[in-house]
Amino acid sequence: MKAVLSKCLRAFKADGQLRFGVIGVIVLLLVIILAPILAPHDPYSYEFVRLLPPGSEDHFLGTNHMGQDVYSMLIFGVGTSLKVALISALISGALGVLIGGLGGFLGGWVDQVVSEIINIFLMIPTFFLILLIISLFGNSIANVMIVIGITTWPGNAKLMRAQALSLRERTFVRSAVALGETKTQILFKYILPNGIFPVVANTTRSMAGAILTEASLSFLGLGDPNIISWGQMIYQGKSYITSAWWISAFSGIAVILTVIVFYMLGDGLNHVLNPKYNYGRSK
Amino acid sequence: MSKYILRRLFSGILTILMVFVLDFIIIKAAPGDPVRTIMGKETDDPELRAALMEKYGLDKPFHVQFVSQLKNMLRGDFGNSIIYNRSVADMIKERLPATLLLGLVDCILALIIGTALGIFCARRDGSFIDNFLSSIAYTLDAMPSFWLGLMLIIVFSSRLNLLPAQGMENVREGYEGFRHTLDVMEHMVLPVMTMVLITMPGYFRIAKSSIQQVTSEDFITTLRSTGMSEKMIFSKYIFKNAILPTVTMFGITLAFLVTGVTLVEIVFSWPGTGRLTLTAINQRDYPTLMGVYMVMSISVAVVMVLVDIAYAFLDPRIRYDK
Repeated sequence: MKAVLSKCLRAFKADGQLRFGVIGVIVLLLVIILAPILAPHDPYSYEFVRLLPPGSEDHFLGTNHMGQDVYSMLIFGVGTSLKVALISALISGALGVLIGGLGGFLGGWVDQVVSEIINIFLMIPTFFLILLIISLFGNSIANVMIVIGITTWPGNAKLMRAQALSLRERTFVRSAVALGETKTQILFKYILPNGIFPVVANTTRSMAGAILTEASLSFLGLGDPNIISWGQMIYQGKSYITSAWWISAFSGIAVILTVIVFYMLGDGLNHVLNPKYNYGRSK
Repeated sequence: MSKYILRRLFSGILTILMVFVLDFIIIKAAPGDPVRTIMGKETDDPELRAALMEKYGLDKPFHVQFVSQLKNMLRGDFGNSIIYNRSVADMIKERLPATLLLGLVDCILALIIGTALGIFCARRDGSFIDNFLSSIAYTLDAMPSFWLGLMLIIVFSSRLNLLPAQGMENVREGYEGFRHTLDVMEHMVLPVMTMVLITMPGYFRIAKSSIQQVTSEDFITTLRSTGMSEKMIFSKYIFKNAILPTVTMFGITLAFLVTGVTLVEIVFSWPGTGRLTLTAINQRDYPTLMGVYMVMSISVAVVMVLVDIAYAFLDPRIRYDK
C-alpha cells in the first residue's frame, strides 16, 4: 500500500496530465460545495428582462430567454454533470468488473458466453440504445444515469476479463485454490482487487463520456427538464443561436473543460497504474 | 481462414438477433399502453380495443408475437410509423442517401487530413507545431459535435453571412443541374467541417503514435545503418507497417457512419436519418424509432463483419490467431 502511495506521489510530480486532472477535479468539487457563494443569483429565479448580453450589469455572462443568470446556471450545472458522471461510471464499472471478472476467472463455457456478449455489445450503437430507452421510459436524470451505466459496461468487462485471465494463473491465486478457498472468496479477495486498476483508469475516461452523452440526450430534448444541466442549456440556447449566442456558447465551454479534466485524470491514472510507466525509478 | 470467416458471420448474426431481442424486451417493458395511444384519449371502447389488439397481434402470447415480428424483420419489414402511417423501411430508404453523402465525405476527409497531420507531427515530435496540434486534437475530442456545429453557425452563418446553415439545398431558388450540385456543396460545407473536426483527432492520434512506434523499432535502426535515405525508409517501411491501425479505425468509423452523423444532421436540419430520429422522438413515434434503431444496428453489424473479413485478407496475423 505504501509503495502504491509513494508511486502515486512520484507520478503526481512527474505527470502533468495527472496533476491537471486531480487539481481540476478538486476545483470542480469546490465549485459544487461553494455554489451558493459563487453564484450571484438564484439559477431558478426568472426575471422580466430577458436575453441580456454578457457584461450586462450584474449578469456577467448574460441571461437566457427566461431571464435566468447564465453564470449562476453554469455554477449549479457542475453538480449535475459530476453526479451523472460518477453514478453512471460506478454502475458501468461495477457491472464490468463483475461480469468480466467472472468470465475470465471461471473460464470454460462461462467465459465463452461472457466474451460473446461483450463482443455483441461492443457492436451495438450504444448511443441509439440509450436514446431509445430514455425516450420510452422517461427522461428523468435517474433514468439517464442508470441507462448510461448499464449500456457502457462492456469496455470495462473486456479489460477486467483480460486481467482475471492472467491473474488466475499466478502463484498466489493458485495457492489460494490449493488451500481450499471457495471460488467466491478467491474472486472477491484476490482477482477483483488486484485486477481492478486498468478498469479504474478506463472508468475515469468513461465519466467524461457520460457527461457528453447526457449533453447529447439533452440536446435531443431528452434531458431532465427539472434540473439545471449544461446540455439542457445548449439545447435551450439553440433556438436563440442568432440572437443570444452566449446561452449555448458558455455552457458548451463548461462541458469541454470538465470533459478535458476527466480525460486528463484518466490518462494520468493510466500512466500510474500501467506498469510500463515507472516514475522516478529507472532512467 | 474459412473458419475465421464463419466465426465472424456467426457473431454478426448473433448480434442482430441480440439487437432484436433487446428491441422486443424494451418495447414490452416500457410503461404506457400502445393501444391507448392509437385509440386516442377520448374513447375507451372495449370493442375497438379488442379489434386493435387483434390487428397488431397484441392479443397473442409473447412467444408468438416474438416469432412473427422476427419473421417481419427478416423480410425487411420494420413496422409502420404511427404518425405518418407509412412503412418505416421506406422512410429510412428515402433519407439514407443524404446521410450517406454527409457521412462518406466526412469519413474520407477526416481519414486523409487526420492521418496526414498525424504523420507530420510524428516526424516533429515535441516541436511547437506538434504540441499545438496535439492540444487542439485533445480539445476537439472533448467537444460535443452539436455544440461545435452551433458555434460554426454563429461565426460563418449568422455573423459573417458566408454559408448557409440549414438544410441541403436552397428550396426557394430550385436550382437544377450543375448549379444544383454547387448549391448542395455549399450547404455541405458547415456540416462536413463540423464532422471532420470531430472525427479527425482519432486518426491524428492513431497515425502519430503508430508511426512513432514503428520508427523506434530495431529494424528501422538497422535500415538506417545501411545508409538508406530517410525518405525511402519512411515510404517503404515505416508507412506500410504503421498504417494498419488507421485502416482498422477507418473500418469502425465506416460501420458507425450512419449513427455518427445523427446529432450534426439535427443541428443543420440535414434531411437525413438523424432528422427522422428527432421527429420520431418529438412526436413519440416509437415504431419509427425502433425501426431506425434496428436498421442502424443491423447496418453496423453487417459492415463490421465485412470489415473484419477484409482484414483477414489484408493481415495474415489475424488469420493465424483463430
